[in-house]
Amino acid sequence: MNFDLDTDQRDAAAGAKDFFAGQASPADARRALDGSPVAPGRAALAEVGFLGITVPESAGGAGAGVLDLAVVAEQAGAVLAGPSLVTAARAAVLLADHPDLLAALADGSRGFAVLDGPVGGSAPSLDARDADTFLALDGGALVVGEGEVTSGAPIDATRGLGSVRLTSSRVLVEDAGALWARARQVGAVVLAAEDLGAAGRAVQMGVDYAQMRTAFGRKIGSYQAVKHSLVDAWVGVEQLRSLVWWAAWAADAAPGELPLAASAAKAFAAETLERAAETVIQVHGGVGFTWEHDAHLYWRRAKVDRLLLGDEAEHLDAVAALVLDGALTR
Amino acid sequence: MDFEDTPEEAEYRAHVRALLEEHSAELVHMDTGEEGAAEGPEQELALRRTQRVLAEAGLVGVAWAREHGGRAGTLAQQSIVHQELARARVPGLINHIGLGMCAPTVIAHGTPAQHEKYLQRLLRADDVWCQLFSEPASGSDLAALRTTAVREGDGWVVNGQKVWTTLAHVADFGILLTRTDPAKPKHAGLTMFVVDMHAPGVEVRPLKQMGGQSNFNEVFFTDVHIPDTERLGEPGEGWRVALTTLLNERVAVGGGGTDLGLSVESLARLAAERVPGLSPERQVLARQALGRAAVAALANRYTGYRRYTAISQGGLPGPEASAGKLAGTASAKLIADLGVRLQGDDAVFLSGADDRWQRTMATLPGLAIAGGTDEVLRNIVGERVLGLPPEPREDKHRPFNEKAAAGPGTGRAAEPANTARTDAPGAMA
Repeated sequence: MNFDLDTDQRDAAAGAKDFFAGQASPADARRALDGSPVAPGRAALAEVGFLGITVPESAGGAGAGVLDLAVVAEQAGAVLAGPSLVTAARAAVLLADHPDLLAALADGSRGFAVLDGPVGGSAPSLDARDADTFLALDGGALVVGEGEVTSGAPIDATRGLGSVRLTSSRVLVEDAGALWARARQVGAVVLAAEDLGAAGRAVQMGVDYAQMRTAFGRKIGSYQAVKHSLVDAWVGVEQLRSLVWWAAWAADAAPGELPLAASAAKAFAAETLERAAETVIQVHGGVGFTWEHDAHLYWRRAKVDRLLLGDEAEHLDAVAALVLDGALTR
Repeated sequence: MDFEDTPEEAEYRAHVRALLEEHSAELVHMDTGEEGAAEGPEQELALRRTQRVLAEAGLVGVAWAREHGGRAGTLAQQSIVHQELARARVPGLINHIGLGMCAPTVIAHGTPAQHEKYLQRLLRADDVWCQLFSEPASGSDLAALRTTAVREGDGWVVNGQKVWTTLAHVADFGILLTRTDPAKPKHAGLTMFVVDMHAPGVEVRPLKQMGGQSNFNEVFFTDVHIPDTERLGEPGEGWRVALTTLLNERVAVGGGGTDLGLSVESLARLAAERVPGLSPERQVLARQALGRAAVAALANRYTGYRRYTAISQGGLPGPEASAGKLAGTASAKLIADLGVRLQGDDAVFLSGADDRWQRTMATLPGLAIAGGTDEVLRNIVGERVLGLPPEPREDKHRPFNEKAAAGPGTGRAAEPANTARTDAPGAMA
């Protein structure tokens, strides 16, 4: 057994961390709430190659695996970057037999969004606001088309959420139910990876502050009430890391395990990021719930991400269904 | 990244499996449940025999050096043996405290004569060992222990009391942490010994746990003589020696990411049997609870695989392992709670058809305390992993025998509970 990243994956994570540090930040996420574009934006992500990580080399991508994408997505999540690599991951699965569209995904010449729900008015979908090309499941077939986006005041503006009514569409794959399900599971894994990054950064912000802030003559991190809440959040982050790695590995190497692993990771991610984000606010006290502080931007991400691609209840039920069907006992 | 055996590991696994089949008739096997060994004197003999058979087959102390009776194998091989024992439904080895904690301490700090005298017999469970650390007034704050050892002639005379001592009622030897210099600060005045549990003046009284079983004990020492040749490490070095024990306790307890109570697999089997018979409303609730328990158990399991990978690549077990026990305790509660609730009307009795769920439920409060309380483990992770500032420890540098004057009443008022044990990596006896 070797359950660890390899050297290339560690290097990729380090490179991604550097890239995102220079290209996106919570400050960008705050400005997006006032209408500024999300950072780093589609063009920058395409240029660095992150939109094509799982796109085959023949279509201009890197031909790498979901795990390779997940370690990059973690770094994107840490700085609340957008658009989401979830969209790239999901679209790459759906477009596997459509090299032209894959190439347009990887080079950023088209902005894709993947729509959940009815094509006449989708559920709020990731990155729909800035997209021009929509993928949807229509009567069991995978379709691509143009559409009309409506949106509300965003809780987390980096997610680009919008409902879409398709105004034109053509069928890409008949009978695409299984393909759609796999794409959604891969999307859930990458979303959990972004949440892992966001949760880890939130906990680190809380730890940094607890080491520095003094109250009643002591650093607040020395009080068990503060220390233990940060530890519980950190334990959650490390456990989430294990589930994300397992699920991403399964997507590449053990497709039979992907449904269980993806739902486990997504359900755990929802709870973990929410706790991390609420903890970092609580540890900061008054400044923690101001507009200027970064904490609420992670809280916004948590409150939105927990509902995307299936909420915790949906994924816990999916895990239960698989377990009742013998997924652990066969 | 992969979860498969290497060719060498697969070969070793086949070898272990063949040995277990060959000796199957000589080993204790569990019938139902995964909760471990039954109790009673006849079980003790059977479990001692089981370990001896396994030791003679070369399956105990696999990763130990040959000079100590081991096979100089890898931690991966050790782990394969554990997996195959579980698969063959052989209960945990009776000498698990000796193997996991006492022997590594004897190996690291004992003399060649002690190695010769003890290790081979420990491997075969000819001698069962216990770990005599916790006391009534020093649980989480281990270094505040009060059992004294006073030099007399060619040895030492021990007086005091230990408590929560697992296996003391069957043990032949124990490692015993004592205070030999009360004028030194509390960590500096300690000395470790090997004690013969059958020596005059050693009295073991079983304690009955809340669930009714008696796995641990009080141990009283009244003028017990210990030869100086049974000292482990130098006088005053007892804390450093104890850290070896506690570091290895982490490997023994926290390392694998295995379920701490009943396994999630047994919950899965129970749920497959019971959930379809519930009302639709209850099915929804039961499925949410099952999903939550399974996710928690899987998160522990895969986190355990990460720790295992780190250790098998030569890393030392770090304070991160404390997080494994914290999370394992939490998921054990989720698993057992649903298991009990799925018993329906039987859930209120300890005598139902599948009462292992109720019995396990009654062990869970203890799980959050034994081997390091949840609070102490959070302090360890917070201070040693996250780098948060430590709790104030007012007594750390003060001579131990001045402590009584520090506060009013009992003299312990100034000492915060559950703090000093963060100096130690792990847990309590």
